[in-house]
Amino acid sequence: MDNLQELLHGFTIAITVPHLLLMAVGVLLGILVGVLPGLGAPNGVSLLLPLTFGMQPVSAIILLSSMYWGALFGGSVTSILFNIPGEPSSVATTFDGYPMARDGRPTTALATAFGSAAFGALVGVILITFLASWVAQVALAFGPPEYFAVYFLAFASFVGMGGAAPIKTVVALAIGFAIAAIGIDTVSGSVRLTMGIDELVKGVNFVVAVMGLFGIGELLVAVEEEFHARAVSSKIDWREVFRAVGRLPRHSVALLRSAAIGCWMGITPGGPTAASFMSYGIARRFSRRGRYFGTGEVEGIISPETADHAAGTSALLPMLSLGIPGSATAAVMMGGLMIWGLNPGPMLFVDQKDFVWGLIASMYVGNIVAVALVLLTVPVFAALMRIPFVVIAPLIVIICVVGAYSVSNSYLDVVMMLGFGIVGYLFKKLFYPLAPLVLAIVIGDKAEDAFRQSMLMSKGSLGIFFANKLVTCLIVAGIALLLLPLALQLARLLRRPTPSARNETTAQEKVII
Amino acid sequence: MISRRVLEFATAVLTGSFGVAVVVSSLDNGIGWSSAGVDAGTFPFLTGIIIVLGSLYNLVRGLLPATTLASVPVAITPIELRRLAGLFVPAAIFVAAIPLVGMYVASSLYVFAVLAIPRHQTVPRALAMAAATALALYVVFERMFQVSLPHGALAAAFGI
Repeated sequence: MDNLQELLHGFTIAITVPHLLLMAVGVLLGILVGVLPGLGAPNGVSLLLPLTFGMQPVSAIILLSSMYWGALFGGSVTSILFNIPGEPSSVATTFDGYPMARDGRPTTALATAFGSAAFGALVGVILITFLASWVAQVALAFGPPEYFAVYFLAFASFVGMGGAAPIKTVVALAIGFAIAAIGIDTVSGSVRLTMGIDELVKGVNFVVAVMGLFGIGELLVAVEEEFHARAVSSKIDWREVFRAVGRLPRHSVALLRSAAIGCWMGITPGGPTAASFMSYGIARRFSRRGRYFGTGEVEGIISPETADHAAGTSALLPMLSLGIPGSATAAVMMGGLMIWGLNPGPMLFVDQKDFVWGLIASMYVGNIVAVALVLLTVPVFAALMRIPFVVIAPLIVIICVVGAYSVSNSYLDVVMMLGFGIVGYLFKKLFYPLAPLVLAIVIGDKAEDAFRQSMLMSKGSLGIFFANKLVTCLIVAGIALLLLPLALQLARLLRRPTPSARNETTAQEKVII
Repeated sequence: MISRRVLEFATAVLTGSFGVAVVVSSLDNGIGWSSAGVDAGTFPFLTGIIIVLGSLYNLVRGLLPATTLASVPVAITPIELRRLAGLFVPAAIFVAAIPLVGMYVASSLYVFAVLAIPRHQTVPRALAMAAATALALYVVFERMFQVSLPHGALAAAFGI
């Protein structure tokens, strides 16, 4: 019951006029970046980051997390009305959302999407409310070896369950680690990997990487397939909204199943994108109307949307209680936490109660604000999509350039950002996952420190990672996840190859677009 | 036309050479174990090795005529390539121009050029948008958030 008391206290922090205003601003900005192709939640949040330095940490995180909710909702709007996913995680929503909207039921599609999204988010927040402080409690007893084991598990689960080609995930992760190592080494104080460029001593900021990888990279992917925003009507019929939401409980099995998938994928860093695809795939297999999927089925909208938002929300759980972000956007937020002088991890629940519970309470309120605002503003943002892409593209380039520059007033950052843009384009095109790369840039240093501290403790023996039950379990689970793709491949070889095998791989590749 | 195979090859070479650079560079910091614990170069050295090995695997995988690759032989068509260049080349010129003419001039020139030269917008409208961009940048950054954007060598020469 302690949690509920803390939560109530959190509500007194979250429900104040300035914080409600911040939520509204965050959600609106979030919908904006969610709607615009080329701008997404990760770089939207990193753009806002420098502007939060003067704020109280709790206000800052409310602004940033509200933006995240807004972006998740905004991505669904364009998926349904234009068949253009504004966010990678809403690709799966286009499969049934757009056909339903095209067949003259845009309000039903939108209301179903938002309703199930809100349900998914709610499940995620409830999970955080009850589980986060418990996890933090357990983690308080962690030493460096346990921490390294948890980091290892997180990275291994990307390889094992991320859905991308395992070796490509490994390469992306390792590149992230190497980038994190650039600059001054926190343990020995020596300068590493500057490759002769003196300015690199300050290291590579993750915001610069995010701007390039997600901003310029996504823009390049978007410009390639010159799309025409052929919108269906974006008028909202309010009676139909309530009717559609009222019909949701009929699909409670799909709702609960998708929420469970989402929470699982959010906590183990599979991320919202993988969650929504997985949920859609499973729904198609198990639904009685599975063969109608793709023609505007209600459950085809419910499944990806619920999982997407459940994953997006629960991705904050490991970030808060362990200091390991569950998605790219959570990684950026965690970078913000460190800049504000907070130490993400279990100590937050001891030292920064106001911050933690203010944030958790704001997630309840923020999602309600988000649903209301997104419904009210659908026509406005739909109109925005009619602005030609050639006009929006240079503006997004300028935003990314200025965003990269303003991190530390460095021109080198801008050049690097552009370089990351090319890398981001190539990686997206060839299905290298970007989330692990960003994650490794943000927490690579911490993982390395944990490893080196463990080695100091054990005087160089790897045996410390098998010294007690907990650490052994974590490491073994990590190794199992690393080997999972190999085992699956072996199993596939042993089985007779089926004609559907090829479709499966392309579907898998789609997961990480 | 760029095939998927060439693109896989190029990316693997790119990541691989980054890995080699990391390995070489980390050797300066020492790898292995010393009195102060694990040497500073060890972790980067290992990641570098992983990058190189992974890239080699991806390289071979990308060149093999696997089923998944065969289903999408063409990665970038000539039209797509032209569109890509149309976005990226002006953006690169814009970034290159920043140290010279500063963020404000560079960004408004960029907006104007991208909109007016391919005749996406009429000249007056493109001019208006270019001016609005510079003004918005000035108001948001210099005024509201007190972030000074680069004014460029040109402005410095005039003593602004």
